[in-house]
Amino acid sequence: MSGKEFFTKRYSELGWKFGPVELKQAIRINTASTSEAGLLQRLRTRGIELEPISFAPHGYWVRKSAFSVGATAEYLLGYYSIQEAAAQIPATLLTELRNKVVLDACAAPGGKTVQLADLMHNTGVIIALDVEKRRLTALSNHLERCHIKNTVVYQKDARRASDLKIKFDRILLDVPCSGNFAADKEWFRRRTIEDVRRNAVLQREILAEAVKILKDDGEIVYSTCTLEPEENELNIDWAIEHLSLQTEPVECYGKPAPTGVFGKQLEDSIANCRRIWPELTQGFFICKLKKREGER
Amino acid sequence: MKQITDFISRFGTSLKLDESLIIEKQGRFYLLSSKLKGSISEGFFYAGAYLGKTRHGVFFPSFSLLAMIAARKEANKVTVNERSEWLFVVGRDLFKQGILKANGSTREGTYTLVVNQHEESLGFGRIVRSLDGRGDKQRIAVRNVSDIGDFLRREKRYG
Repeated sequence: MSGKEFFTKRYSELGWKFGPVELKQAIRINTASTSEAGLLQRLRTRGIELEPISFAPHGYWVRKSAFSVGATAEYLLGYYSIQEAAAQIPATLLTELRNKVVLDACAAPGGKTVQLADLMHNTGVIIALDVEKRRLTALSNHLERCHIKNTVVYQKDARRASDLKIKFDRILLDVPCSGNFAADKEWFRRRTIEDVRRNAVLQREILAEAVKILKDDGEIVYSTCTLEPEENELNIDWAIEHLSLQTEPVECYGKPAPTGVFGKQLEDSIANCRRIWPELTQGFFICKLKKREGER
Repeated sequence: MKQITDFISRFGTSLKLDESLIIEKQGRFYLLSSKLKGSISEGFFYAGAYLGKTRHGVFFPSFSLLAMIAARKEANKVTVNERSEWLFVVGRDLFKQGILKANGSTREGTYTLVVNQHEESLGFGRIVRSLDGRGDKQRIAVRNVSDIGDFLRREKRYG
């Protein structure tokens, strides 16, 4: 089961009519390293036209640029990162980050790690994990470019994070997922429902590991860039039932996630999650979780 | 550690680095905060502020270390104009005509940091023709050794 017709029919059942999407490039300013107003002025002088992203603090759409925004001295000095607009949301949902011990469980290539460090003003500790060495090199380069000082990187599968014997205040689970057609023109040709199901299993294993290492009053933000409910609402419904987690209300861009998926009724609190259909951004799913009260 | 302090001294300055917070792994040096030091375990891949690496006895600084040296008032540094800033970042050497100001030693053979008009470190080079006097402005004055354009080159290699 695959193909454009198969998947778009599913989206239609979830209440969204498929349409082509042209993604706009976005950047996020690393405010711990530079003055936002000063940087905007410098980029304007270079002929780069930016427009604030209403739902992403320090995020800007690139309206016009005569050259790549990844080829300026300001970029190389680490003053901003090129980061898709929806991908800028998850890290901002973790609260009171300064001086906390934070896990970025699937960190490469490091856009969200750098954002976390920026939100933490380089205080506390970030433990950043990823499996593939080549991706870790990209992550480390990103950290060096942005002058991040509070992060330790390990080559480690997120499903083995408890080996580190650390309890975390905050955990970002931007889990490996099936992706979406807006970010990958070949997506419908490449993906099958089997891929989706395989990823969903992996994501559940990562969620289960995260619960083991989360402090009792800690927060998890779970996100994917896929539209497939098996990796989103159905996984969170499973986590509520099997991992004693509860969803938390969030205020961010996106629509409340559906509580009925392909005929299955889910927990009402799934509506606390946000589903972002491709329009201004790529497809995305975001959910904030805590240990259930009374079971902490 | 000596390799790091020796390297810094080539710019006519020094830095107070807490040796107890510097860790080395496979020839790479990292500066940690005390909180980070308490959380780190064996087998890490990268940590804290990367200072640089040694290969075959030669020290290669990170851009974080160069930025730390550039913040020292007395350090050897040349300030370049906007055109030379970008040429340097893409790996080119500096002509005297692109240098607006020189600080510290300007003698041939010495190392100098290269900063832009915002005093931001772009990398470093070696003075190959004295920066004093009127000399030929069309000839190379500072040979590029390392520049922040390296991040773009690495992105091409590693994504």
